[in-house]
Amino acid sequence: MTTNGTGNSLAGPLAGLRVLELTGETAQFCGKLMADLGADVVKIEPPGGQETRNIGPFLDDQPHPERSLNFWHYNTSKRGVTIDITKPEGQETFRKLAANAGLVLESFPPGRMAELGLGYEHLSAGNAGLIMCSVTPFGQDGPWRDFQTSDLVHLAAGGQMASSGYDEEDVPDAPPIAPGGGNAWHIASNYAYMGILAALYHRDFTGEGQYIDVSVHEACSLTTEGAIAIYLSTGDVVRRHTGRHAAPDMSPKIQHATNDGGWINTTRSGSNLTPDRIKVLAEWMDTYGLAQDLLDEKYQDPAVVAQSDQHFAAVLRNFFANMPLVEAYEGGQELNFPWGAVRTMGEIVGDPHLEDREFFRSVEHPELGREFTYPGPAAIYNGSPWRIYRRAPLIGEHNDEILGGELGISKSDLEAMKKSGAI
Amino acid sequence: MQDDHNLTTKRSKDQPLQGIRVVDFTWVRAGPWAARWLATLGAEVIKVEWPENLDMLRLNRFTVPPGVEPGPNSTGQFADTNAGKLGMTVNVRHPKGLDAIKTLISVSDVVIENFSSRIMQRWGLGYDELRKLRPDVVYVSMAGFGHTGRQHYFGTMGPAAQALSGLTHQSGLPGEPPAGWGWSYLDDTGGMYGAMCALTALRHRIQTGQGQHVDLSQMITGITLTGTAFLDKTVNGRESRREGYPPGNRTVWPGAPVVHNYRGHIAAPHNAYRTHGGGYNDWCVIACLSDEEWTCLVGLMGNPEWAQDSKFKKLDGRLEYQDEMDRGIEEWTSTLVKYELAEKCQAAGVRAMPVQSSQDRIESDPQLRSRGMFTEVEHRMLGRWKFQSAPFRLNGASVAVKGPPPMIGEHTARIMIDLLGNSRDDLLAGFDQGVFWPESTPPFDYIQESIGREAVI
Repeated sequence: MTTNGTGNSLAGPLAGLRVLELTGETAQFCGKLMADLGADVVKIEPPGGQETRNIGPFLDDQPHPERSLNFWHYNTSKRGVTIDITKPEGQETFRKLAANAGLVLESFPPGRMAELGLGYEHLSAGNAGLIMCSVTPFGQDGPWRDFQTSDLVHLAAGGQMASSGYDEEDVPDAPPIAPGGGNAWHIASNYAYMGILAALYHRDFTGEGQYIDVSVHEACSLTTEGAIAIYLSTGDVVRRHTGRHAAPDMSPKIQHATNDGGWINTTRSGSNLTPDRIKVLAEWMDTYGLAQDLLDEKYQDPAVVAQSDQHFAAVLRNFFANMPLVEAYEGGQELNFPWGAVRTMGEIVGDPHLEDREFFRSVEHPELGREFTYPGPAAIYNGSPWRIYRRAPLIGEHNDEILGGELGISKSDLEAMKKSGAI
Repeated sequence: MQDDHNLTTKRSKDQPLQGIRVVDFTWVRAGPWAARWLATLGAEVIKVEWPENLDMLRLNRFTVPPGVEPGPNSTGQFADTNAGKLGMTVNVRHPKGLDAIKTLISVSDVVIENFSSRIMQRWGLGYDELRKLRPDVVYVSMAGFGHTGRQHYFGTMGPAAQALSGLTHQSGLPGEPPAGWGWSYLDDTGGMYGAMCALTALRHRIQTGQGQHVDLSQMITGITLTGTAFLDKTVNGRESRREGYPPGNRTVWPGAPVVHNYRGHIAAPHNAYRTHGGGYNDWCVIACLSDEEWTCLVGLMGNPEWAQDSKFKKLDGRLEYQDEMDRGIEEWTSTLVKYELAEKCQAAGVRAMPVQSSQDRIESDPQLRSRGMFTEVEHRMLGRWKFQSAPFRLNGASVAVKGPPPMIGEHTARIMIDLLGNSRDDLLAGFDQGVFWPESTPPFDYIQESIGREAVI
């Protein structure tokens, strides 16, 4: 077990759940969410390893299937076996594993698992409680079912790009922008997790497993906050704005440059400014001599305040242009303004607040003789802790342990399967 | 309390969370979105509100349809965010109001809120108190920075949380300000995490009989979505402030060092291109993840002379000469309507899709239509209204938007009398004393009717 900082021996909330994971980019994040919460997730890769091992960046920038930081991040706490499920022997081995599994998580093209004799009907025949979750680009049916996608392609179709970009005056002629980081897969994985937990809950009361059909496209499509409601309400289509909500009109700017090259985001211009709050803000700004006219009595009239959004944004812009980032952001927060500094990893790693929450987790890579710092959990589960149980599996690392030890396949049979390429 | 716990017997369930009751103190977007999913999964969610501190989404200026009388029950954005919940109004700062809430919590499974970190304790409803009322309660708090840590009192809303988490800096063009996210991604996703935390803790309760406090942070949720960049920093020491980063829609910016910029496989073409019509959202994306896919695209474009230059054959060359390549591609895409273009590309084995606006997704997307992405439900103020469905189907249980959002205070009488067993006289006294509705404003007609009083003219 790796060090996790908590010293806590309580089991994770998903302890006792055996998951078979047959997915790469599409839904391996869902597998990680479960594994770090205590599920026993067995990642099944083709012999030689999954192609996601070729996604960088790599340790010391040296490409190698065991050095992908992308693979490391998305596969913490999992165990790994290699099985070629296109071969009859591999299918037989997979069926044996599935007979005792709680969940199969997969993202093959629709119909592919059934073709291999590994569809939900096959696998649940001897395991009525089995839950199977398929995460595919468009779901198991519909006119776009077989379209090929990528993260970028989903963020276009799902509406993320239509909302993200720049004000015309900031960057003329800018395209719609797809935020980076693989978030189409995150969004789909999060919803898949929700569906799986609902099915688990259902099973706990009825004993019945079920099949879950998750669509990445639908998950992305319902992750654009107000854009849909605005269109349904008024027929307006939102315009893209720098660093803030896409809106039908020219909303006040909320992302401002600071005098040390940083950027601050004020959520809205000053956030919910009422006469009382303007006074608080103006008195603080005045200590720097930058309140401009905000102390004027007229801003104690809510009607004037309601008309002054653009003016407040301009005053704040000037204020921030004369302030260092952290002083501005933390000063605002101390006065209860929910502002945020635009941070990079350099500013996040080592953040004392995150240290207080034991966010930074040291994970051992014994084969390298090194430990690395991984990101921790979004939530502290006070009664059933999150932890990184181990680093991502090496290729076939647990073949002997799981296929030999658990399934009881003999050493000579394992050797033979290795030779035939089944594992 | 354990004896009447209606989940201790095994039985069939139409909806996964049938029998779960949620006390929902949340407001604005992230919190209500969390509880909305619990309702969609079948839980009975009771939204607790107070009209003098109205949920901001009830005031959303962009989403009152023309012809609908403005008011707290008339915004489309509140409607979808709170679909399928019951609603009560109660003043928790009034001793009788606090008593009512405590009784409600004692017969509920989940308490969820997204206030600043110490508000619930100030009301006498911190986890230690909740546990006295309901020993196995699942309590999910969704504060910006969480309830633990030296800056627990810092507040966030989506855009600030995105900035602080590193998400904002992952979006934009090199040399320009961060473009960030054009909506509160962390209100959507933070909301999902609230629901995920509740579901996870409920699962743990089934296994062990134990409840717990789950201390979620909206801002930190964002950091967990930047994991590869995080490891690039902690393992390789690579800074995000670097030449060519963030690389727009590309995997690598032309001229910048060829490093992984957290967009999956390094690939080119990988960009957005203008399509026929030239309108604001007449764009498509094309991503060729291999040399073979590029060859398919060249053929589809009709083998133009520029594309047959050998420098484009391999990825290295396509990365180096991306500007020239993208100009050539756009000349072709500009001749086609975006949907037609995507169909042609897909048929030829090229990954492409139109950039779809909200209008496109509602009016033109055949896949969303075919899959029933929008559920129509009758809403008292908005008429027949489209609500967003779950992006997953369970073949053995129903997951569906159960009904419209609550009108403010719509179910106060039902909850106080039918669920909690109060007398009508007690309820009326509470209304007269400012417990269930502020004394400053007359209740809406439907509230008067619900307590058997004449509507105020």
